Amino acid sequence: MRGLHRQEVAAGRALGSPRSIVATLAVMCAPLSSGIARAEHDMAAMSAHHAHEGSELSAGVAVEAAQFDTMAYVGSYQGITPSIGWMRGRFGAGATLGLYHLNKNGLSLYGIGDAMFTGHATVWATETVQTGLALHLMAPTGSELDGLGMGHVMATPSAWASWRRDRLSLWASAGYSWALTGGAGQHNHGPSPLVDPMNMQEVTWSAGGDLDVAHGIRVGAHAQGGIPTGVGSDRVIGAGRVAWGTPRVSTAFELQLGLAGDPFTIRGVVETALRF
Amino acid sequence: MRVSDLRLVLGLVVSLGLVACTSSALPEPTQAVCPDPDPGTLTWDSFGQKFMADYCTACHDSSLSHAQRNGAPLYHDYNTLTGVLEIPDHIDEYAGAGPASENTEMPPSRCPTVMGGPLNRDCPKPTTAERTNLAVWIACEVKRPH
Repeated sequence: MRGLHRQEVAAGRALGSPRSIVATLAVMCAPLSSGIARAEHDMAAMSAHHAHEGSELSAGVAVEAAQFDTMAYVGSYQGITPSIGWMRGRFGAGATLGLYHLNKNGLSLYGIGDAMFTGHATVWATETVQTGLALHLMAPTGSELDGLGMGHVMATPSAWASWRRDRLSLWASAGYSWALTGGAGQHNHGPSPLVDPMNMQEVTWSAGGDLDVAHGIRVGAHAQGGIPTGVGSDRVIGAGRVAWGTPRVSTAFELQLGLAGDPFTIRGVVETALRF
Repeated sequence: MRVSDLRLVLGLVVSLGLVACTSSALPEPTQAVCPDPDPGTLTWDSFGQKFMADYCTACHDSSLSHAQRNGAPLYHDYNTLTGVLEIPDHIDEYAGAGPASENTEMPPSRCPTVMGGPLNRDCPKPTTAERTNLAVWIACEVKRPH
């Protein structure tokens, strides 16, 4: 769920231009867990070629590694997250499922995380400004007991907006996550480093910017987090990113720091996406 | 924006959502109740300490370092009554049995032979009667003066 808003933000930003379809597809395939999804759009948007109408598919994979030192656990994890995406016009959908190796307090285990499904639509778009809506659903495919999943369905509707001029892009998003369970509000996921959102109900947010620094290369920074509306704790993540590639194949590297709420100490993510 | 596109996207999201809603069961409070008046038959000395030693403290012991805990969270230590009373609801929801639920999430499948050692044996499991006594003991213990 990490960085969930950025996917649709990127998609929306891509719309409204001749290269929109390819760009949108690019982000649809990006694993949400990586938070690098938007970089795929950035790469795609650098080229006006390959744009065409109709449905398009995409596939991607992200590899991540992180260290954490929370109130309850000390350890690390590594993950690989395949993803698929589909896009047509203003609408898109995608799915991701991560596979993880988790080491916490001396216990080493492997398993899948929670699956995520996304649907999104651009509501309004011009050459410089785009806005849209999205819905994320997380399914409890990961073991809650092992700390690989939430143990319940989590839904996150959200809204986003972006602005672009010349080489600079700015974007922001906000949503509300809540657990679809009878026990909602009775506990939170604070101690589990892989689970995000960590709170049973929270306002999620993200904001960032990117800059074209050379042909096919962009750098950027962003922050994202969660504010609990019931029991729980605030969470803030800061990140820097560099992305490169072509409209069809793009790669990005992102370095993230957990600034508040113990999500992790440091996390690195490398992601590649293929659009076709 | 065509209606057919919208239907397709909504259908996909709803379908995936329905799939997502088909699993998951969180640990639940047992709703165990301490008899009134408290008979005092289930105490730390008569029941709790042995239960924890038999099934829990190989990993949930305050003397164990991070690496020796085999995944047990810090501050979830049951080698003292004080430690148990830090999170009685959590214990009830993961190992207790009562009118509302029988929770068997703990102990896990594999355990160390020696405290803090490698996971080299199947964990011994409490009987339903022991889990029931655990929940009742906790319900009583939290009401007692300490």
